Amino acid sequence: MDCRSLAIAIAVISLLPVSAGAQPRGARASTGSARAEAPIDLTGQWVAIISEDWRWRMITPPKGDIVSIPLSLRGQQAAEAWDPAKDEAAGEQCKAYGAPGLMRGPIRMRISWQDDATLKVETDYGIQTRILRFPSTALRAGGTTAASAARSWQGHTSAEWVVRGGGRDSQRHGSLKTVTTNLRQGYLRKNGVPYSERAVFTEHWDVHVLPSGDKYLVNTNVVEDPVYLQAPFQTAIHYKLERDTSKWDPTPCDARF
Amino acid sequence: MRCQVLTVVTSVLLYAAPASAQVELGGTYAIRMHEDYIERGPGSFLGDFTGMPLSDEGRAKALRYSSSLPSTIERQCLAQSPWVGLYRPLALRIWSEHDESGRVVAWVMGGDYLRDTVRIWMDGRPHPSPNAWHPSSGFTTGHWEGDTLVARTTHVKTAWIRRGVGIPGSDQSTFTVFMTRRENLLTITTIQEDPVYLTEPHVVSRVWEFDPRGSQGPMRDTCNVGVEIPPLEDTGEVPHHLPGQNPEADYMVRTYNIPREAAMGFAHTLYPEYRKTLRSTYKPPASCGRYCCGWIERQGLPGAAPGLTCNDGNLPAALRKALTSPER
Repeated sequence: MDCRSLAIAIAVISLLPVSAGAQPRGARASTGSARAEAPIDLTGQWVAIISEDWRWRMITPPKGDIVSIPLSLRGQQAAEAWDPAKDEAAGEQCKAYGAPGLMRGPIRMRISWQDDATLKVETDYGIQTRILRFPSTALRAGGTTAASAARSWQGHTSAEWVVRGGGRDSQRHGSLKTVTTNLRQGYLRKNGVPYSERAVFTEHWDVHVLPSGDKYLVNTNVVEDPVYLQAPFQTAIHYKLERDTSKWDPTPCDARF
Repeated sequence: MRCQVLTVVTSVLLYAAPASAQVELGGTYAIRMHEDYIERGPGSFLGDFTGMPLSDEGRAKALRYSSSLPSTIERQCLAQSPWVGLYRPLALRIWSEHDESGRVVAWVMGGDYLRDTVRIWMDGRPHPSPNAWHPSSGFTTGHWEGDTLVARTTHVKTAWIRRGVGIPGSDQSTFTVFMTRRENLLTITTIQEDPVYLTEPHVVSRVWEFDPRGSQGPMRDTCNVGVEIPPLEDTGEVPHHLPGQNPEADYMVRTYNIPREAAMGFAHTLYPEYRKTLRSTYKPPASCGRYCCGWIERQGLPGAAPGLTCNDGNLPAALRKALTSPER
């Protein structure tokens, strides 16, 4: 290579886009829709594999079984006061189906794009729907904020992609981060282990692919609650993508089973 | 001369282009036993195979297990499955090893007295021949996919893969592992495939929290062996249960009213549709009888507060004191 060719090569290299690998942590692409920018594909039907905490997730454990959840004394007292008949009478059979409890449940969930900036997560367990809003959705809706909306079992969820790579010599990777607030008071566990309406539910959604092509979704999540927890409740929950969607079985909320 | 300078500049630019993302994994991570507390803390109940996709052979072998079996010298290191740390109650220490140029050659996960140190080779070396030595750490290679270190472990020994209950993993097991660090949280997901003792991949996902003041304790990556039950020494006796004679096989049925097939780790019991069967058969126990408030006990905080029924499982006084001591 002569000097002129070398100079051209340097000029070309200097004009190439900076690798996204050099982006700061949490960097988010700033152009295009959330759907177009998605670094991972979350859509499809996912089934929870209950290979952990089977006795606390597949069935309703007895009252007072609060093992592994860092409850405050107040939280422990609330768990001891659990009364499913009272919840039924109050029309609150879905208290264990709010987002922090729902995701740990024995669920199938269907994730789809509601529009270019909104992911919809539907579950057959409790027939619940979560809406994950990327920033532009809120703006299009006229600036509706979490604080102004009514509290609900699924609360208000803001979403953002965390993108890695995608530049020169670098494959595009990433994950989804969501933060849910504005929740109604609910249960982390079916037997009345509580979270308060001040709870903040943060989730990181990763998709992992095996050489066989099987896809797993891992949801790393943290529940912070100044009322009923004395430390953040941190877990990772895994799901598998189903190609056969025939086992989808919508069942209403049940306060007892 | 100008051309030489250009050559150097070009080389530097090409070298500086990041090949792939890497995240600093080094440090100590505190355990957060918010999942599978009983398996990771006091140890599984005998006869509790819930959440496992066991084959008939795996189930039969697990039922043969007696809690005296690990006391035999030949079997004291069978708990050394490379990723059994996901079922252990200890912190995690990770560090990197570098070559002369500073490139990471391997990420290393420190072992403890029942788990060998696992070295994840990042330098592209191939896995050895299937007939090569199987160390208790297995052989692991890794690469980065974005912020996730993807590792693959082969060449493991036959081992127990869940604490204290005899669930076996064969030496044909392979593990695909995903390690993602986000700020202070480290998520490790393992997917174990075993053509002998599992009917489908066994998935476990856990969270640790970075703790700059943490200590994993003594680093002992060699399993110590010694005679624990003197009467067994030199007798040639292997503690076991004959088929159909394990007295704990029905423990979960008796204690928690769950169907035997769920306790015995049939794969179909891991999926939501199994609740249709449970709905017609399951009746919750009247109260929680054992290990009901474990997290609180371990933090040295009030367990059974006045007027509450939180049951600590009748821990021996000495163990309770050890678990709740300020030094812990």
